[in-house]
Amino acid sequence: MNFLKSIINAVADPRLFFLLACGLLVLVVWQRERVASNVVGYGGLAALAIFFIFGTFDPNFRLIVTKPDNVPIVGLIFLLVFFIWYSIREGVLNDRRIAAGLGPIEKAESDRVWVWPDLVYIELIALILCSVLLIVWSIFLKAPLEQPANPANTPNPSKAPWYFLGLQEMLVYFDPWLAGVVLPSLIIVGLICIPYIDKNPKGNGYYTFTERKAEITIFMFGFAVLWSSLIVLGTFLRGPNWNFFGPFEFWDIHKLAALTNVNLSEYVWVRAFRTGLPSFWLVREIFGILLVVFYVFALPVILAKAWFKGYYEKLGGPRYYVGTGLFLMMMALPIKMLLRWLFNLKYIVAIPEFFFNI
Amino acid sequence: MAEKKSVGHAYNIDFLNVVFAACSVFLLLSVIWMVWDDYDREWKNTQRRFNQLELQVTQAQLQLAGRAVDKGKLQSLEAQQKAAAKNVVANQKKVDELQARQKDVENRLYRATQEYQAAKATYDQDRYDFEASRANKQSGVEKKAQHVAEEERRLNELNLAMEKATADKDAVQKDLGQYTGQVTAIGKQIDDMTTEQTRLKKRLDVIAPSLTKDYFRNAPLLDFMAPTIKIQQIILPNVVDDVNFIHVPKMDRCQTCHLAIDKKGYEKYPQPFTTHPNIDTYLGGSSLHPIDKIGCTVCHEGMGQSVSFRDSAHTPSTEKQKEDWEKKYGWEEPHSWDYPMLPVKMTEASCAKCHKQEIYVPKATNLDLAYATFERAGCYACHKTKGFENVKKPGPILTKIDSKLSPEWVKNWIRNPRAVKPTTWMPRFFYNSNNSGPEDAVRNEVEINAIVAYLFSNAEKHEFAVKNPPRGDAKSGEQIVKSVGCQGCHVVGEGSREAVGPRRTFGQPLENIGNKTTYEWIYNWVRDPKHYSPNTYMPNLRLSDQQVADVATFLSGLKGGAGDGPKATPDQPAVDQVILEYYKAVMPFEDAKAEIAKLDPRQKQIALGQRVISRYGCFSCHEIKGFENAQAIGTDLSEEGSKLVTRLDFAFITDIPHTSKLAWFRTKLHDPRIFDKGRVLKPEEKLRMPNFDFGDEEVNRLLTAIMSFQREIQPPAAMPARSARADYLVAGRTLVHRRNCVGCHIIEGDGGDFVKLVADSSLGPPLLTPEGARVQTDWLYAFLRGPIPIRPWLNVRMPTFGLDDQNLNGVIRYFGAMSNSIGPFRSHDVVRAASTEGTGKALFEKLKCQQCHVLGTIPKDQPTANLAPDLRMASDRLQPDWILQWLKKPLDILPGTRMPGFWPDYPKSFYPELGGSAEAQILAIRDHLLTLKGGPSPRGNASKAANNNNN
Repeated sequence: MNFLKSIINAVADPRLFFLLACGLLVLVVWQRERVASNVVGYGGLAALAIFFIFGTFDPNFRLIVTKPDNVPIVGLIFLLVFFIWYSIREGVLNDRRIAAGLGPIEKAESDRVWVWPDLVYIELIALILCSVLLIVWSIFLKAPLEQPANPANTPNPSKAPWYFLGLQEMLVYFDPWLAGVVLPSLIIVGLICIPYIDKNPKGNGYYTFTERKAEITIFMFGFAVLWSSLIVLGTFLRGPNWNFFGPFEFWDIHKLAALTNVNLSEYVWVRAFRTGLPSFWLVREIFGILLVVFYVFALPVILAKAWFKGYYEKLGGPRYYVGTGLFLMMMALPIKMLLRWLFNLKYIVAIPEFFFNI
Repeated sequence: MAEKKSVGHAYNIDFLNVVFAACSVFLLLSVIWMVWDDYDREWKNTQRRFNQLELQVTQAQLQLAGRAVDKGKLQSLEAQQKAAAKNVVANQKKVDELQARQKDVENRLYRATQEYQAAKATYDQDRYDFEASRANKQSGVEKKAQHVAEEERRLNELNLAMEKATADKDAVQKDLGQYTGQVTAIGKQIDDMTTEQTRLKKRLDVIAPSLTKDYFRNAPLLDFMAPTIKIQQIILPNVVDDVNFIHVPKMDRCQTCHLAIDKKGYEKYPQPFTTHPNIDTYLGGSSLHPIDKIGCTVCHEGMGQSVSFRDSAHTPSTEKQKEDWEKKYGWEEPHSWDYPMLPVKMTEASCAKCHKQEIYVPKATNLDLAYATFERAGCYACHKTKGFENVKKPGPILTKIDSKLSPEWVKNWIRNPRAVKPTTWMPRFFYNSNNSGPEDAVRNEVEINAIVAYLFSNAEKHEFAVKNPPRGDAKSGEQIVKSVGCQGCHVVGEGSREAVGPRRTFGQPLENIGNKTTYEWIYNWVRDPKHYSPNTYMPNLRLSDQQVADVATFLSGLKGGAGDGPKATPDQPAVDQVILEYYKAVMPFEDAKAEIAKLDPRQKQIALGQRVISRYGCFSCHEIKGFENAQAIGTDLSEEGSKLVTRLDFAFITDIPHTSKLAWFRTKLHDPRIFDKGRVLKPEEKLRMPNFDFGDEEVNRLLTAIMSFQREIQPPAAMPARSARADYLVAGRTLVHRRNCVGCHIIEGDGGDFVKLVADSSLGPPLLTPEGARVQTDWLYAFLRGPIPIRPWLNVRMPTFGLDDQNLNGVIRYFGAMSNSIGPFRSHDVVRAASTEGTGKALFEKLKCQQCHVLGTIPKDQPTANLAPDLRMASDRLQPDWILQWLKKPLDILPGTRMPGFWPDYPKSFYPELGGSAEAQILAIRDHLLTLKGGPSPRGNASKAANNNNN
């Protein structure tokens, strides 16, 4: 049993956790025909439930999972798995119909909407059930009265509200001005932009996968992997000092993580050129700056001529550049993560002279 | 759901009906559950239980009050009332007529009053309107002025009508009184007799079960309007909570469950319904700490706003209580509140929050004992602590160690002091939990040898005052040691340090002293301690040379074990290794090697010794040459009690809750190095606090002391008022505790540990609480400088402390302040009435004062416990006013005294003299006493003692 726990602890390491989440996404997309079966869907949920039941026998796991603040995240895991599976299943069923020339099922009776009493009735039932849930929840998980907030004694770990834990995880890899200001703004702007960039009418009002392969995969990567799974990671696997702790590990405040990260400039000047760091920041950081300029400004142009040629032609210049820019910004997070894990890279551009780090 | 059920419907409506019905039932059930959950709250049930208890207690009190009433008197009053009522009946017609008229007049008065008040209100409004118009120079002012004048006239008329109605009413009442007055007067008398019963009956009406209260006001769901079961809270503007950004008035809701905490009569009921055990000092309306000013949590800590047993952060006092609470209340270690309640025995730690500048607080016996332990263990020496900055170093001086001790003995002593003297406060630095492994032995021995080498090479030469002193008789020496009062400060191997307590371990324990030092040293020390150690607190007991020899002979015969021998014999390379480790910590490795290479083996020892002493802080407690200006090495403890638990390092100790500050300190005090357990550390990184082998009780005392070291947040309004008298009390109290006067004497209810060793308390050191009122200040000054025997038949004696004038004045002012006397300068001349002089003498003889009191000669036929001081000292020693008080009520001043009270019925007297007036008799006796002269006096001694302080 302990062996199993230590395996799970090891698998939950942020690097493996993130790579596994990516792998799972690939697997789901690739094997969607099989994933769409009830056996996989309900079996997966059952396996998840068994994991949690098995886990609660462990005191450390129980402490984290049953903390009233964290209970919603347990619910989130189940709901997320269910709804991803459900949308894949519906998409796959429709894709089969479309392949057979039947068209999606939602279009079969598109002229009729059952509002009264059907829709209103189930909405009322949902409302009642939610009320019951909230009442029972409030009886079971009481909000405790705690000590007054103390600026000199912040909780360790200090965690953002659960819906921002994904952003907080980004702080591990980016400076606050990027992780806390630029990237969240771009997320909001990007979500607002989607309908203006993507004017493809396919998949409108019905489930499908094959008609929108790239879009769905990109969205799922952003939402399920980059956003939701990082929330789960932040809730359950980040302990004191924002150190990583496996789900069955004791949150020991003394745990140390060696800080051996280095900047790109040090890689170039000290390790490659075997000289000291130039004292003038522009010279020192020139390679990093060039790299960033290349990523932000040159890469979209190159991509338009190479891999994204089809998109460029389909969307036109402005849509293409806005869309690709947002996409590259999103990809900046996993890229930086990989660089950190593979090369201990701290910053690509590090200019402490005026607090500018990328 | 992709499958369609029927035409026109997406779902099966019949099925949805069932689902809807089920959901509605769930909703109803959950709402009922919610209401019940609120109705069933912990504190509400507690109040319901208390209601029943209060009903029972009040009924019992009512019965008791009924019994207390004089039945006979009540019956006779009732009979009188009946007779008077008959008189009323006889004139029934007249009475009826008068009552009808009274009613009529009362109605008229009511109408007149109403009219007057309405007119007055209108008049006030119009007058203001007129005033405002005139000030703003508006038009139509004249008209308004007229209107107001008219209204004023009318108001006067109405007032007259009202006064007339009142006069009429009084007249009618007077008439009526002729017939019914007697009944009313007797009724009032009866009411006066039964006030308590009436009060209790009213209370019973309130608390008795009633339909509206039980089924309406407190019913589930309806109890949000005006319930009788509700949260009881007090808001305390003068004591504050620190919520980090601001200090806010405390809000305590403890009384929501502790409903009888400030009510007498519930002493025998268990918590939460018991009365406060010390209601005269705390919570009572007339006490010093009334509940509406001080509240609860400023002393007890815990979360005052909470009304749940668990969240209010109760802390159990014992392991058993903890288990009970876990079962009964689902108690768990508090973690959502920074300052959980203190265990009951440690509550006095909170006294220091407001009584901060006092250090020693009267009546706070536990806290005083805690501070005494804190001082005795010398905690303040390494740990700087506010309030303990100027306390003398707790250990003996080591600057003359050469003439007192042998290096071998010192090594064994340092290795394990308690193997030599089990009751010593000297802690153990080596062979503790983090340095007793087999690999540590060599290093330990190297360090011990080095310390000893440094101490002996830095000792100055000491000349004994008496060389080769004569031997004495050990038996009579023992007799002296056990009777003269040595045991007020020293233990001679009786009981553990924990049981004996900190006051009687003020001086070094005397067990095994024969192995420690030479006869010559002991002889010279007992004869004159200040010759060897000029700043010692050890007083001079004024023993004769023969007595000194006897005592020294007895003490040098007290021998015990030699202690723990060395556990390894380090060779030179081992010493070199250790010294290199010490050196390279402060200088580059090559430099360290070069430095060491310059030293010969002896110099290496001494150089290493200096480093080791620096590291362990030996100089904190002992005076050591070369360390005169060294700084304390420990953590500052001034605010340790406010330290948050998150600031404490639990390391790998997992068997104690990591949310409990007390658990951390308790573990630390039991084994100061325990948090090194399981860590990989170099010798110089290890914890170095030594082990005192504290017992559980000692740990509790020290925890109390630590928890009393709080951040100062309470506002001046919460503090006791400052005054010169208060300052004298504070300074004096500190002095008598730090000089261990309280080791022998009971002062302000504290101390007197030595008295417990004496068979009869009247043969022990006197109680000093009333001393300021009792003796004349200049006599006291002379006495403290050169004490004389007041009761020569006692074995115990007041030593000569050799206090300087500052301390002498401190003590005298303290006694004065304690008795609230008017000051040091007083005329003791007494105006005597010549007529009473003879009577005074006669009464003196009649009351047989001389039977117990000495008058030049000691009465022969009395047991020593009955003997009393020489009355010839009275005029020289006692305050004349005090003699009067003393004669009047001796037991009030000194509970348990053998002095009889001759006037139990004061101011009446059993004796016929002077018209049977006790006051005149007492005065006459006092005046006679003051004529007695020629008793022993310290006044002559004082100057002698000052000149010749050595003997």
